Amino acid sequence: MNLTTSADVRHARGQFPAWSVKIVLALLVVIGGTGCGATPPAWFRLNMVEATKQKLTPDQERQVATLMTAMFGTPDDPVALPETGLDEAKLRLAAGPVRSDIVGRKNGLYREHCAHCHGVTGDALGPTAAFLNPYPRDYRPGIYKFKSTERADKPTHADLTRILKNGIPGTSMPSFALLSETQIDALVEYVKYLSIRGETELGLMRAYFELDDDAEGKLPETREFLVGEVLEPVAEKWKAAADALIPVPEMPADIDMVASIAKGRELFYGDKANCVKCHGPTGMGDGQANDYDDWNKTIVEWTKEVVGTDDKQWANRAHRVLDGDSLEPRTIPPRNLRRGIYRGGRRPLDLYYRIHAGINGAPMPAAKGTVPPEDIWHIVNYVRSLPYELDGELGADRPMVARDRF
Amino acid sequence: MASATIGTSSTARSTVNWPCVVAWMLVATTALLLSFGALVTTYDAAMAVPDWPGTFGHNMFLYPLVEWFWGPWDLFLEHGHRLLGATAGLLSLVLAAVTFRRGASPAVRWLVVAAVVLVVVQGALGGLRVILDDKTVAKVHACTGPLFFAVATAIAVLAGRQGRGESSGSTTERSEPVLHDPFVAVGSLSLPLPSWAVGASLPTALAVAAYLQLVAGAQLRHADATLAPSTFRWMVAIHLAGAAAVTVLSALTVIAWQPHESRAARRWSLTILAMVMGQLLLGGGAWLFTWGVPSWLQEAWAPAEAVLARSPRGAAVITGHVILGMMILGAAVVLALEWGGAERLERIARFGRQGRGRSDGTGKPLSGAVALQTRPERGAR
Ligand code: HEC
Ligand code: HEC
Repeated sequence: MNLTTSADVRHARGQFPAWSVKIVLALLVVIGGTGCGATPPAWFRLNMVEATKQKLTPDQERQVATLMTAMFGTPDDPVALPETGLDEAKLRLAAGPVRSDIVGRKNGLYREHCAHCHGVTGDALGPTAAFLNPYPRDYRPGIYKFKSTERADKPTHADLTRILKNGIPGTSMPSFALLSETQIDALVEYVKYLSIRGETELGLMRAYFELDDDAEGKLPETREFLVGEVLEPVAEKWKAAADALIPVPEMPADIDMVASIAKGRELFYGDKANCVKCHGPTGMGDGQANDYDDWNKTIVEWTKEVVGTDDKQWANRAHRVLDGDSLEPRTIPPRNLRRGIYRGGRRPLDLYYRIHAGINGAPMPAAKGTVPPEDIWHIVNYVRSLPYELDGELGADRPMVARDRF
Repeated sequence: MASATIGTSSTARSTVNWPCVVAWMLVATTALLLSFGALVTTYDAAMAVPDWPGTFGHNMFLYPLVEWFWGPWDLFLEHGHRLLGATAGLLSLVLAAVTFRRGASPAVRWLVVAAVVLVVVQGALGGLRVILDDKTVAKVHACTGPLFFAVATAIAVLAGRQGRGESSGSTTERSEPVLHDPFVAVGSLSLPLPSWAVGASLPTALAVAAYLQLVAGAQLRHADATLAPSTFRWMVAIHLAGAAAVTVLSALTVIAWQPHESRAARRWSLTILAMVMGQLLLGGGAWLFTWGVPSWLQEAWAPAEAVLARSPRGAAVITGHVILGMMILGAAVVLALEWGGAERLERIARFGRQGRGRSDGTGKPLSGAVALQTRPERGAR
């Protein structure tokens, strides 16, 4: 009889077929819906934040877009003018949609490996970007953090290659060590291409500001201006990178490590280097932590400008751009140096570069100028000892650990 | 293999239940086919072969096996996927032949028709994806695959039941969940279970949710690089909500089926729950391998090395997430159909003409097996 009961229960719900059919129909609509309209070809997005900042008119935006395509091509069909110093063959390997050629060699490497984070344009607005902390690098301002050159200089080809091979520990930037040398080489070339492209775009947009009245709001479309005045200065800096290496004095082989660490510690907490200001008395990054990096600062400052403006029409447009073309600004905490995770590499040499030149784009300042080169080695040694620094081992005052702060 | 866990005392018969055998072969082939498909996506290998339906100008079947097997990894995946797809297509046709000759039930017939249509559409979509090199087509292709897998599994289950129904006809008690009273004991607890919690509704909902979850996952995996982060954030949110829904549904199924008379049914529901738990882990792993440690976790755990892109381990976790998702779908289909859903499906397949309320006057509706036995095709007996 139990059987009858349960069967009756089910029987009473005889409506099942009707709504199940509806579900199937709804599913088909969902699947069909995604199928309507083929994917458009990838395009380079205009730097809308800068365009709005410079209050460009729609006509001016169109001019920039046209000029950019003429000078740099499209994501599927890149162009490298000789003045850029870029190798177009390498760019072609990295650009375009993902596919294999007849010998099984992969093309479209950038879109396969990088674009979902860094964006097709290299604007760090790839689909996954919002989930990543720190955000991916926006290549367009041409600012890079981890390099062997002075703060204001571009990274060398070798620097970018190292970053690709090692990744950036502590961030979502992965290591691409499993790719071949040729592939990494092509990708590095493409990063440079996107960077030079982005900086040229910035240059063009800013050039409207300096136009004469009789130019009628249009940039001169001459090679002399576009390549000679805008592109070349950008490209020159990239070409000069290889000769701008930071001179590093040899660390004395017979250095007394204990003394060196003690000296470094003094400098770390001292007034000149003043690392303690940001990295904090514990070295755990508990100093000043409300600062932004350059990329986020651009957005923060601009947002302030938008909020403060009387130009309502412009503000509306700016707000739309902020919604679509920027991510929520985030502060950049100074690194917790007790974890022993170094984003720019953990060789003593890497730390030397970081401390000597600071971290471009981040608040971390250069010690160059305030601290003599030999002393930088002492700081390096102290920083490297920080993850292992123990109770009372170095100096009388025991450094704080997390438990103490709790 | 799933039919083995259902194992009952079906008496040995000399004749082989060919629809069931072929259907399970199709399920196995499809599982491999979808795994290759998932790998093709993981390794972005879809365009390893530029042409279609040929492979580098060869007839697909005549492309030198040696070159395929020892060729580039991407080519191995893509061409392997094509070969398996063709095999699944052929098997579907064989299945259609054996089921229609054997006089299958309406539900099986409809499903076989659906399978043949789906496999043809799916093949064409695969071809279009290559010819047009279009990611949107790839998305649809990725959604049709699991649907076909679910249909193949359903056919296998129903065909198996039909075979057993022929031989024993004693599936009646097994296929009915026993509901002693609305308050069913769950272990030592006594939970009130509403009527909808009993029968095939929960597993059906679970199967639907598992499928939608595969659809949502496919949208993430095939997200176009030009997609806005804000849109992608919504898509991830939907996938996470779907994960919650599948988890809750599978847990509810276990609770609701705890008093089920059939031990196999109870075990099967528990297996699904275990699979879902594993799937949550794999999902977390997939997150780590593609996006690194999420910021809220970084304080507690930050590996000293960056994630290695395209590492075999990462590819295994990410692809495994897709494959296990598909397995959950298949298992939910088995659960729904084997214990209660089959009769319903037969009723739907008859468009309610005979099935509904067709009882023999004792107030006891015909169960699937009984209904099948009374079908005219069985008149041979
Ligand atoms: C999972 C997301 C992700 C992927 C995929 C990814 N990156 Fe990154 N990348 C990042 C993040 C996040 C940063 C920023 C780290 C930081 O600011 O410390 C970054 C930073 C960089 C930098 C800047 C390094 C510096 O010195 O400032 C370069 C160059 C770079 N990535 C290149 C690439 C290339 C080329 C690829 C593809 C081969 C790639 N990335 C793939 C997330 C990603
Ligand atoms: C104005 C604040 C500030 C000061 C002063 C400062 N830092 Fe930093 N430091 C930072 C920030 C912010 C970061 C993180 C940058 C990033 O994430 O890109 C950082 C990162 C670092 C790193 C990590 C580099 C890597 O590869 O991951 C080291 C090492 C470091 N600082 C050492 C020092 C030393 C030594 C000093 C003193 C000479 C110092 N810092 C002074 C703000 C500061």
